[in-house]
Formats: sequence, C-alpha cells, structure tokens
Amino acid sequence: MPIGPFGLDPVIWAPLRLVVAVALALFLILNGALLQIYLERKIQAMMQDRLGPYHVGPFGLLQTFADALKLIAKEDVRPKGTDSYFFLAAPALVFCPMLASWVVLPFAGDIVGANLNIGLLYLTTLGSMTVLGIVVAGWASNNKYALVGGLRSAGQLISYEIPQILALVSVVLVVGSLSMVDITRSQAGPLVNVLILPFSFVIYFIAALAETNRTPFDLPEAESELVAGWLTEYSGMRWGTMLALSEYGNVTVVCGILATLWLGGWQGPGVDALPLLGVVWFTLKVYALILVFMWIRATLPRLRIDQLMSFCWKGLIPAALVNILVVAVLSLAFPDTRAPVAIGSWILLIAFVAGLPLVQRRRLAGLRERARRSALPVRAAS
Amino acid sequence: MTFDFVEPVVFAVLSIGVIGAGAAVVLINRITAAALLMALTFLCMAGMFVLLGAETIAAFQVLIYVGAITVLILYGVMFTKYGDRPYGLFFQRQTPLAAVFVFALAVPVAYWAFFFTSPPPRPGGGDLPALATSVFTDYAFPFEVASVLLLAAMVGAIVLTKRDETHEFDERRRR
Repeated sequence: MPIGPFGLDPVIWAPLRLVVAVALALFLILNGALLQIYLERKIQAMMQDRLGPYHVGPFGLLQTFADALKLIAKEDVRPKGTDSYFFLAAPALVFCPMLASWVVLPFAGDIVGANLNIGLLYLTTLGSMTVLGIVVAGWASNNKYALVGGLRSAGQLISYEIPQILALVSVVLVVGSLSMVDITRSQAGPLVNVLILPFSFVIYFIAALAETNRTPFDLPEAESELVAGWLTEYSGMRWGTMLALSEYGNVTVVCGILATLWLGGWQGPGVDALPLLGVVWFTLKVYALILVFMWIRATLPRLRIDQLMSFCWKGLIPAALVNILVVAVLSLAFPDTRAPVAIGSWILLIAFVAGLPLVQRRRLAGLRERARRSALPVRAAS
Repeated sequence: MTFDFVEPVVFAVLSIGVIGAGAAVVLINRITAAALLMALTFLCMAGMFVLLGAETIAAFQVLIYVGAITVLILYGVMFTKYGDRPYGLFFQRQTPLAAVFVFALAVPVAYWAFFFTSPPPRPGGGDLPALATSVFTDYAFPFEVASVLLLAAMVGAIVLTKRDETHEFDERRRR
C-alpha cells in the first residue's frame, strides 16, 4: 500500500486534503473578516480622534464577535417584492468566487491549496465573477437604490478589470510564469518586484481599490447617495455574508495578490531555515497592505461616477498600455538584466505622478472656459 | 479503490448543466433568469474544458463570457423596459416546421455521435506559451480577422447610438 503524507493512504488523503483546505479557508475568511472590521473601526477612530469600539472585551476586541452573533441570530427579513430565487442566490454568487480564489494563494513554500500553472488567470477570472452576484443582488432587491448600486458596480468592476489585468501582464512578462508559487520563488533576494515594476504596482493598487469597492471608489454602496447601494434590502447574515465576509475576503485576496506579485509573498529573512516562517511573512505583508487600504479609506473622499469612469478609461488604461509596451520592449531587448526594465518603470511612475497636476490644470481651464461660454448669452440678455 | 469513477460523473453533471440550462435559456419566459442560466451554461462548458485538460481555455471562457458578456447583457436588460415576453409570439405557427427541421438535423448528428471516436485529448492545454505561439503564428490571420470584426462592430455601435451633440445642446437651450 502506498503511503502518502502523515502515513495515510493517498486515496483517503486526496478527499481529506480537500475538506481540510476548504475548512481552513473558511476559518481564515471568517476570522479575517472579524479582525479586519475591528481594525477598520479602530483605525478610523484613531484617525478621526475618536475611541472606536471599547466596551466589549479588552480594547473592544470582542465587539465584532458580538456583532456577528447578532447578525446570525437576527430574523430573516425578506421584502415582499423581491425576486425570491435571485435574492437568495446573490449572496452565494458573491461569496463562492471569493472562497474559490483562496485556492491559489501561497501562504508558504508548501502551503498552497493548488499550484495551478495558470494561477493568476484563475484569480482574475474569479474576480470577474463577483460582478454577477452584485448585479443580481441589485436587480432582485426590486429597489431603485439597489438597482442603481448594482448598475454602478457592473460598470465600475468591468472597467477597472482592464487596467488590473494589464498591470498583471507586465509582471508575467518579467517573471515568465502565471503560477503564484513560481512568481514568489522568482523574488528570492531583497530585490522584489515592486522595485523593478513600481508603475504596474501603483496601477494595480488603484484598480484593486475600485475592484473591492473601497473608498474612494465605493460608489456602488455610497451611503450618502444610495442608502447602502446593492445591499439596501439585505439584512441579517445575508448582509453579513455579502458585505463582511465577501468584501473583506476580497480585500484579503487582492492584498494577497499584491503581496505575492510585487512584495515577494512568503519570502523573507529566515524562510530557508524555517519554512513555516513564510506564513508569518505573508500574513504581515498582506495585513500591511490592508492597513494602507484602511488608511486610504479614512483619508480620501468619494469620487463622482463620471470622474471614476473617465479616470479609468482616459487615465489608467492608457498608462497601463504604455507600461506593457515599455516593459515588453525593454525585457525583450535586455533579456539578461532587469535594470533597464526597472529604470523605465520608475521613469514612467515619476512621469505619471508629475503629469497629474498638469492634466488637472488643463481640465480645470477647460471647465472654466465652458462655464464662461455658457454664461455669456445669459449675461448678454440681462 | 481509485477515483476513476469521478470523471464520468462530473462529465454527466456538466452535460446535464449545459443541455438543461441551454434549453431553459430558450424556453424560459423571464429574461433575467434566461441571462443567468446562460451564465450557468458557460460555466458548465468551462468545466468541460477543464475535463479535457484545457484549463487556460476554461479560464478565458469564464473571464470573458461569464464575467463580462453576461454582465453586459444583464446591464442591457436592466436599462430597457422589460415585461415578460409574450408567450410564443414568433414561433407559435412554425412549430411543426421547426420540429421537422430539428428532427432532420438531430438524427444525423446523433447517428454520427454514436460512431464517433475522438483522438485522445493531448495534455498540456494549460500550457500558455504553446497556446500563445499557435495563436500568434499559425492562427494569426483568423485572429486578426476576428479582431477587425469586433472593431467594426464597436465602431458601428458607436455610430448608431451617437447623437449630434451640438444640435442637442441647442435644443436644450431653446426649451
């Protein structure tokens, strides 16, 4: 009889491994969401000079557990006019792609659900499936706010997917693999990808904020305009599944992608001697990025929908295309060294950041000109 | 005990998904449900590609058809005034004719399918470099033709829906 890991028969080990992996992912998602909600509230409170949750448990640590228990124990309210099957299916449609994308996140050298050789493509595919659930939720709620939220979400997510994928392409060009494990292994030294490809990191970061509906791109659930957007009619654990679990799970997945592709994933000092240390490094990197997301949420105001769209189509996508062109040409011209790619990418980043005020000034001048022209006949008449 | 029985079972489930959901798309009255069932058909097709060892094609199938096209169809449905489709408005009278055509097509296809032996699927469909090489060398011309077709469709859509902006501005001013 062949012996697999832990002295188990491989026939038993194969399904057992599946169960263990799914249970572990669910455990991490549930607790990660609780922890991230607590962190979010505490950090925003800190930045806004408040206290945040502090009644339940030490430092308010048990507040989110209490909230989750309340959500689970809540009465299942379903408004009468909703489209019953779709209304029930939408939380699952949002949650399942997020859960499935945890399969390819490499937590450490050997701790990965499946080392797919198209891992990155798999992740973008699942990211694009979340839209379907949100649109269905907006539609099935039979509520104008929810519908507008769903429509906004569809437009936003489909648009921002493009710069996201284009930014990933440049990393794939340099590394030469779509597998998350290979990409991590290629960044063994201190020279991680963010130093070589800073521009695509910035593009992906901005697009990821939009993809996970975080401020300043949280238009699908803009509370000052749309009550709660596509979540308006949901309550109890359905709301909890959609908002808390799926949104924070997605944030974790996106930060996992950022950490793996640009920050070296589980690579770090001492990993070669003690492979389990990789889990610590990976978690630290992911949570550092999540903290940046929260910091941005506490800092920036929300955009308008037309600004959001024009920024994507006129700003990010051309920038991402130029980035791909430069990276492809330089890595073809100099296959042995990554220095030219790094220099080109840094120049692009500086040009992008320095160009923003210029574009903004021209836009403002154009707006003023239009306002003056439209005011002229009024002034002449009066 | 081995897991050889899993693949036929999965194939059966996926086939039922493809055929059942595809039939439901045509027969069902609610247009949003039809759009979602179409997404289910695409997902089951992606599963078939995975069974054949072509993970890359499956990923693209889901990325483009489920993630983008179905969402755009739903988007379009939400923006149009909808009501339940009138029952069998167009096809009611042609039922006998349609039945004859379907039968004429289905019998040869079924006959052919029973005596069809496929070459064994070559592994390595997840091999992206090989796929990319074949698309950009052997199939470069069809690829470019397809992209020109899509471009033409897009330009046509823009031309059809674009309104004369200055004219409209004047109209609004006059009101």
